[in-house]
Amino acid sequence: MALFVTVACALIGNYLVLRRISLVGDAISHSVLPGIAIAFIMTGSRTGTPMFIGALVAGVAATVFIEILHSRSRLKQDAAIGITFSTLFAIGVILISIHGAHTDLDLDCVLFGKMDFLPVKEPVFLGLPGVAVTMGALAFCVGLLIILFYKELLVSSFDPALAASMGIHPRLVHYLLMSVLSVVVVGAFTSVGAILVIAMLILPAATSCLLSERLWVMMLLSLLHAFLSSLAGVHLAVALQVPTAPACVVAGTGLFVIAWIASPRQGLISLWLRNPDPEGAMEA
Amino acid sequence: MSDEHGHDPALEVHDLTVSYLRRPVLYGVDFLVPQGRLVGIIGPNGAGKSTLIKSIMGLVPASGGWARIYGKPVKEQIRRVGYVPQRESVDWDFPVNVMDVVLMGCYGRIGLIRRTGRKEKARASEALDKVGMLPYAGRQISNLSGGQQQRVFIARALAQESDIYLMDEPFSGVDAATEAALVTLMKEMRDMGKTVIVVHHDLATAREYFDMLLLLNMRVVAFGNTREVFTGKLLQQTYGGRLTVLSEIADKVAKDGG
Amino acid sequence: MNARSITPVLLFWLVLCVDAEAARIGEITENDPWEQVRRFFTLADPGLRLGLAGALLFGAACGLLGSFIVVRKMALIGDAISHAVLPGVALGFLWSMDKDPLAILVGATAAGLMGSLVVELIQRTTKIKQDAALGIVLASFFAVGLCMMRMIQNTGAASRITGLKSYLFGDVAVLNRQDVVTITGVVVVTIFMVILLYRPLLTIGFDREFARSTGLPVRWFDCLFQLFLAFSIVVALQAVGVVLVSALLITPAATAYLLVNRMHHMLWVAAVIGMFSALLGVFCSFLGSNLPTGPFMVLGASSLFLLAYLFAPRHGRFTRWMSYRARRRNVSNENMLKSIYRMIEKGIAGQDGRVGVSMDLLAGERQVTMAELVGDLRRLRTLGAVDFVDGEGQVVLTESGFKQARRVVRNHRLWELYLTNEADYASNHVHDDAEKIEHFLSEEKVAEIERQLDFPEVDPHGQPIPGRDRA
Repeated sequence: MALFVTVACALIGNYLVLRRISLVGDAISHSVLPGIAIAFIMTGSRTGTPMFIGALVAGVAATVFIEILHSRSRLKQDAAIGITFSTLFAIGVILISIHGAHTDLDLDCVLFGKMDFLPVKEPVFLGLPGVAVTMGALAFCVGLLIILFYKELLVSSFDPALAASMGIHPRLVHYLLMSVLSVVVVGAFTSVGAILVIAMLILPAATSCLLSERLWVMMLLSLLHAFLSSLAGVHLAVALQVPTAPACVVAGTGLFVIAWIASPRQGLISLWLRNPDPEGAMEA
Repeated sequence: MSDEHGHDPALEVHDLTVSYLRRPVLYGVDFLVPQGRLVGIIGPNGAGKSTLIKSIMGLVPASGGWARIYGKPVKEQIRRVGYVPQRESVDWDFPVNVMDVVLMGCYGRIGLIRRTGRKEKARASEALDKVGMLPYAGRQISNLSGGQQQRVFIARALAQESDIYLMDEPFSGVDAATEAALVTLMKEMRDMGKTVIVVHHDLATAREYFDMLLLLNMRVVAFGNTREVFTGKLLQQTYGGRLTVLSEIADKVAKDGG
Repeated sequence: MNARSITPVLLFWLVLCVDAEAARIGEITENDPWEQVRRFFTLADPGLRLGLAGALLFGAACGLLGSFIVVRKMALIGDAISHAVLPGVALGFLWSMDKDPLAILVGATAAGLMGSLVVELIQRTTKIKQDAALGIVLASFFAVGLCMMRMIQNTGAASRITGLKSYLFGDVAVLNRQDVVTITGVVVVTIFMVILLYRPLLTIGFDREFARSTGLPVRWFDCLFQLFLAFSIVVALQAVGVVLVSALLITPAATAYLLVNRMHHMLWVAAVIGMFSALLGVFCSFLGSNLPTGPFMVLGASSLFLLAYLFAPRHGRFTRWMSYRARRRNVSNENMLKSIYRMIEKGIAGQDGRVGVSMDLLAGERQVTMAELVGDLRRLRTLGAVDFVDGEGQVVLTESGFKQARRVVRNHRLWELYLTNEADYASNHVHDDAEKIEHFLSEEKVAEIERQLDFPEVDPHGQPIPGRDRA
């Protein structure tokens, strides 16, 4: 279960990091809250589909709002992100706390995920719980899309001008990527919670970015990171008796720190070996 | 429209007007480049040189006028145009190596979903060889010098196998050896019948590099063979910045009109 | 176009407001809302007094500090710091094994400061960019904090840690006297710092390299600024909560950024907006029972932002749209007058302008239907520029209309001449441009062009340029 979530996130996270829009992932993960709340209030059910749709709509709306604020006023992108996600999140919290009295929609679970206490009564498929199947399918689809459109994603991330001059529309690619991101975030959201999704998105990519110099190597490494961190995370969670999601993130952070210190080319150690003067290393 | 030999002109720009970030940069630009020429676009800073190229490529929307490549709108002819953006426009920390970048030049031709094959690899190697970068094919791009980065960009354009090339400041921040090599390469390309249009900022070398010059300062000051255009009077007009009223008014219209 | 894209947003807000209203009234039937409002404004409730004082103070502090981070394009650093304080909160709690505000404040500030330093370190030593660095710090510190909290709970201290939950969503009701004293201290020091160090902070924010070249200790100032940022965030946390505290930093400052153009104005406006949002938040959560304060503060700030985004005097979308429409209408009016003038000029009507122009011919010239033409002319008549000749299907220019028409034609022809003579355009290329420019030329510019062209009388197409003074 943890593995599927991290794999799907890791794959798409690579592009977020490379396009320097990592925090849009954070924004989306917070923004889906009102979507979930409204879907719940309207249908009164806690089953997957309406919630999923509500979250998806809210997530895509968030990217559109960010885009509008950023391109049609003098605000920079970071401020646009901050305003959008905090507003949507606030709306979500208010809606939930107003209706919270008569519901079992728990803020804790929305925020921190419930990977460890999966509902047992959910439909089971091939011995796996339904959520895990969904996430697995999602991870598979994301992987397939990336393999199919590797070329287009690469060129439009690296050099949007060139992509446009070849007839690949960078804006179209951007919005497609954002929609896929929303789907993944919404999928991961139920198990990881709003705040920690960002870690699942960025940590693998950032770690492998320190270790590799080719995009496809980076992709594979981020998968490895996703795999290791979820494995270590689950064990850590059991050992320390803490929730699984934060434990996975802590494990992932550990891997990142190791890469940061010991990466053969860009690690702190090699930086220091090449240039023992700390000030000089800083400037370089 | 055709020239005296009955060929379509490589590039025809008609009355192109562009406002960029609410500031006007180009004003009724009108010129016609015959095939097989090496053309330099020169003008002072902020004259709209890069914008002209970007707007011909359709990367910056024009508020009036149009550009045609070989007699057809650029959109239909996009495969025949190679565009070399400014070096600073991309993130050189991106995890790709030199070969990957050059292969991107082939992406336009192979279409969606299909992957790059042996044929493309061969073409990319050939292009790299021409710019003298083949030994660096496996190098990560952040480890390249400015001149090498520029060579890679040119190689990528070569791999596009276009008929007309638009290059944005290819000589900025490169070493003298690279500059000489690139100019030789451009002249070779011209001799093969390609049309090369280069944004250039150095007046001193402009005369020897190019067959034709476009003197630009918000509008076309002069366009023609280098011998005829490279005169003190016209250069004075280009760099003199005499048309304050024009730029002020255009500024005001762009602000109010948006 | 723009208005259309904004309408759904407005509708969305409206729906939400109505929804919130309904639920609130439904829940507090036992309490008269007006009674609550009265209690709020008379400050009858001592707990409310404390909470309100605290909220107003940190609203102001967040506005001030937020202005700097918004203009430095590091708006999301606040988000990273606010999440990064969590392990510090847990450690501070471990230290005293109680909700001792001082220990928690110290722990949280230290963790926040460390978070922002790690962000900087990642950016300096690797090729990872700012956005990813922020994301890494935010999530990893927060995850560590969550694990620590759970471990503390596992040790059996769960009963006393319940207050910690307010760190996540915020509640001013939990503020006690001691908290408010701490908040006041931090905020007063912050405000003093911003006032005293305004100029160096401004210089560094605008141009670091220049600041360094003038010998300012830039790194030292950065650290100091981060320290105060961390302080204020920690202080605001209790009322607003981890997730939303960054909104209090960004949104008031961004609103001010849309409204004013100078930094010191922006600081004041941001501080006032911050206080106002805080007030709104406390008020709303006081009205309802058991509602968190933070989200309402953020919603208050966001509403103010939306207002500024739409109606800001110069940059507002709606303002711009209105003035755009006004200009469009003006252009179309002037074009109509110009058509009439040219028909008079061509001799289709008499010379003195008092003779009517046939509306049939005019409709043909303008290529509009008669109904459209009459509509446009009616509008011009209310402006006093034209008049109808009763019963003859003719229209005449009034004196002021004639003057206006002549001014436009004059602008048009002068501009054509300017482009041909001074900017070397072919004379068959200049008409379209002049069609646009004629409406925007000011008196001074016309005079300047006329001087440059040495007071010409004929345009490039051989038509006379009407004089300025001839009546």
